Amino acid sequence: MTPSVQTRLDRVWRRVVFRWRRTQLNRELAEEIESHRLLKEAENSRAGLSPQAARELSNRQMGNIEMAKEDCRDMWSFLRVERLVHDLRFAARLFGRNPGFTVIAVLSLAIGIGGNAAMFTLVDKLLVRPLPYFEPDRLVRVTGIYPRAAVPFFQQQSRTMDVAAVSAGSEYNLTGQGEAVRIFGAAASANLFSVLGAPVAQGRAFEPGEDSPGRDSVIIISDALWKNKFGCDPSILGRVITVNGMNRQIVGIMPPGFGFPSSKVEAWLPLRLDPSNFIEYWGSGWVPFVSRIRLGANVQQAQAEIRALVAQFKRTFPYPMARDWNANATAIPLQEDLMGDIRGTLLILFSSVGMVLLIACTNVASLLLSRATTRRKEIALRVALGAGRLRIVRQLLTESVLLALIGGGLGILLGMSALSIFKSVLPSSTPGLAAAAIDWRVAGTIAALALLTGLAFGIAPALSASQIDLAGSIRTGSQRSITSAWTRLRSCLITAEVALTVVLVVSAGLLMRSLYTLSEVRLGFRPEQILTVRISPNQSSCTERAACIALYGRILDSARGIAGVDEAAIANTLPLDAEQPYLAVEIEGHPKSADYPAPLLWSGAVSPGYVRMMGIPLLAGREFTEADGSKSAGVLLITPSTARIFWPGENPIGKHIKRAGEAQWRTVVGVVGDVRQYSLAKGRPDWVPGAMYMPYVQSAREDGQIYAAMTLLVKGRADSGRLGHEIRSLAEEQDPNVPVSQVQPLEDVVSGSISDFRSTIRVFLSFAGAAILLAAIGIYGLVSYWVTQRTFEIGVRVAMGATRQRIVSIVLAQGLRVAVYGAGAGIVAALAVTRFLGSLLYGVTATDPVTFVAVTALVLAVTVTATAFPAWRAARIDPVTWLRVD
Amino acid sequence: MGKRPTPSELLPGTLDLLILRTLAPGPMHGYGIAHRLQQVSDDVLQVGESSLYPALQRLLLNGWVKAEWGASENNRRARYYTLTAAGRKQLVSEREEFTRMIGAIQKVLDTA
Repeated sequence: MTPSVQTRLDRVWRRVVFRWRRTQLNRELAEEIESHRLLKEAENSRAGLSPQAARELSNRQMGNIEMAKEDCRDMWSFLRVERLVHDLRFAARLFGRNPGFTVIAVLSLAIGIGGNAAMFTLVDKLLVRPLPYFEPDRLVRVTGIYPRAAVPFFQQQSRTMDVAAVSAGSEYNLTGQGEAVRIFGAAASANLFSVLGAPVAQGRAFEPGEDSPGRDSVIIISDALWKNKFGCDPSILGRVITVNGMNRQIVGIMPPGFGFPSSKVEAWLPLRLDPSNFIEYWGSGWVPFVSRIRLGANVQQAQAEIRALVAQFKRTFPYPMARDWNANATAIPLQEDLMGDIRGTLLILFSSVGMVLLIACTNVASLLLSRATTRRKEIALRVALGAGRLRIVRQLLTESVLLALIGGGLGILLGMSALSIFKSVLPSSTPGLAAAAIDWRVAGTIAALALLTGLAFGIAPALSASQIDLAGSIRTGSQRSITSAWTRLRSCLITAEVALTVVLVVSAGLLMRSLYTLSEVRLGFRPEQILTVRISPNQSSCTERAACIALYGRILDSARGIAGVDEAAIANTLPLDAEQPYLAVEIEGHPKSADYPAPLLWSGAVSPGYVRMMGIPLLAGREFTEADGSKSAGVLLITPSTARIFWPGENPIGKHIKRAGEAQWRTVVGVVGDVRQYSLAKGRPDWVPGAMYMPYVQSAREDGQIYAAMTLLVKGRADSGRLGHEIRSLAEEQDPNVPVSQVQPLEDVVSGSISDFRSTIRVFLSFAGAAILLAAIGIYGLVSYWVTQRTFEIGVRVAMGATRQRIVSIVLAQGLRVAVYGAGAGIVAALAVTRFLGSLLYGVTATDPVTFVAVTALVLAVTVTATAFPAWRAARIDPVTWLRVD
Repeated sequence: MGKRPTPSELLPGTLDLLILRTLAPGPMHGYGIAHRLQQVSDDVLQVGESSLYPALQRLLLNGWVKAEWGASENNRRARYYTLTAAGRKQLVSEREEFTRMIGAIQKVLDTA
């Protein structure tokens, strides 16, 4: 008897038709039934009844025909849909009548849902969605970095993987295309694109062997570079461009969105594998590996193989390596590796946003609970008129779901702006970050989330409202007959809300304190009034040391000649500019062994006057002078922390250090203060134990050449805009082919180094702010409802002689009780949770008592404020009016 | 009207089946159907109007019958119901189902 699909479809169609012809069909039904009755009447007449009696009998015989008509009509309508429409209309009317309630509820939900929409998008795009490469689950990162010699070794020896190497990337000079520019390029082994399974959009990928010397004069460019620099010129393939002074032919263009190992990369150059270039092949230019697990092999096999290969390869080094070099090298999924750094931040943000949504839900649930109670009379009336319990619950749920959907719609709009804020928190090089946008998948998820939210916060209030004592409610219309269980539930909800708020605010507080500590960190130098500019000639132009020394001599001279410039100096890096100029060195009295290989020192190459100009204190000995020329004896400055490590308790002046592989020792002539070189939180990376400075004219990179790319610093009171313009044109006058970039005040470099951190904090602060606001609304709602409920009781108390102070303190106690429980629970939860912030914190422990106390005080203060208004209202209750009314 | 059982109390869907069967010979109006059912069943089955008309509407909705206005015996307008092709098919299959059901019930009553 189950109707076929065809029948069902027909039925829907006929119902639709019926909507159009409703009045006609109703009239026909009435006429048909009337004709039926007339036939009965005629039959009755034939049986011998009087016309009057025949009519009456026929009427009786027809029974409750109105009910039958009703049944017929119901059959023709989309009953469920119509009820829903009715419920929705009713709900909309109610919302219109309580705009305050509606706005608070919708805004709470929009904040919660909007934040989640943004976070969903990020988590989906960055953590869940697979990398846009062929079979991305077979791609792994081999941990550690390796000399170029290891590339052919691993490629030939590995049975389980196809191994490719690609550098993290660095800046290159692109010249001969109008004004010289800096582009960001990565050096890749020829098989990189086939290992990734990423096809080129136009042209071709590198061919095997194009990473060997002589064949490597090719380059592949990104879609962005093609569009921005070459104006989408279709004839670009095959054209020769000059990169770092070397001519390279463009052989391929990658598709839009491709960026490996980071989205910053604009060009890929072959990683030159040249065994005859000893320094490059073994010493400098180490690269990370990325590999594709071969069919039939698995990650475990690859991991075991990597350990064996590393041990094998270590024995082939032409110089001694530390015994534990890369001993724990392994393979990890590429996606995990690419997202490793941001995963933590993302998950913390995600859970915070989740908490805000929870708080919002709690708030709305609590608001609805109180409204459900004040609507008891209306609901009781509806029950009395025959509405079933299910029908009441459905009506109330419709209301809450409608609220949630409106909130969700608004939330998606909010989410779009939230997304751009979140994006600013994450490093811009994160793959896929730029492309992350709220799409229909996320919108669908949000719709589902909104629906679920609506059901979640609506179910308890709906159930509470449907449990009604009919007679009692209608008789008195009283707001006093409440089930205490639901009131208790409401207090619990608000308590939980306060607890969540405490967790969020404590987290924000800890981060704030970290930021404060960071901004108070002693930099070790004074960035004020210093303007910097990066001048980067090709390294090849400095093969002749004298050429570069002369170039920078001229630049320094003309910089000092600019009006308003007091001092000028050059340095190979600036503090906090993300460069990592370290050198392997040999230290007098510290012979290297397998366990203590050559230590790395942070090495500055600076002109005389740099130390004084930067305001770095001279602690012992002397600074560099012009007398420390390129031909005179090698001299060095070191920092006190370096001296403590290598010569504890001794005078470091007169000790000797040399670059690994160098013949002549250099003499330490002075000790200058430690500087925050690497980041504000850390002076240097862990693997660099110390720092030294060389005079520029004596300086050498690991390959013995002098640094070509330098930063010019000028100090003066002149307007930085004009000064920037002048030093830029000054450098261009020296050589128009030398790119000049990054003109910026040193103070900007310093504040830029913590800008990511600042925006993380801004996000946390807005979460915490939203949480506090929501909690305040929640407490206000709870207490003010409590006062409404107890108006009668308070009236009695006042009538019996209770003072206004007494009433106020009773009401305040209500709010404070909830806040104290909530704060207590929140502190416990925060103690458990804040340690996950560990990596973001600086100079403050995850259980910092000051923050905890301050936050608790803040929450209690907010509670008192939120309770003050209802308390004031309670104190003004006039017993005479109220006792009479109820 | 006594406490006679109406078809809807017998088995679910039985009334629909009976109406379809009644309409099998030719078009008939509501009164006619009720009258015919009562007559054929020797007054055992008395179909109340309050279940007859909803049942007819249900059949219309399912597309098993169609309705047309015509003149009744007393020269009034009456709605005549005709079995559609789908209705005929439905009658056959429901009848088989019903016979199977009755047979099963009979078997249980006889043997259990």
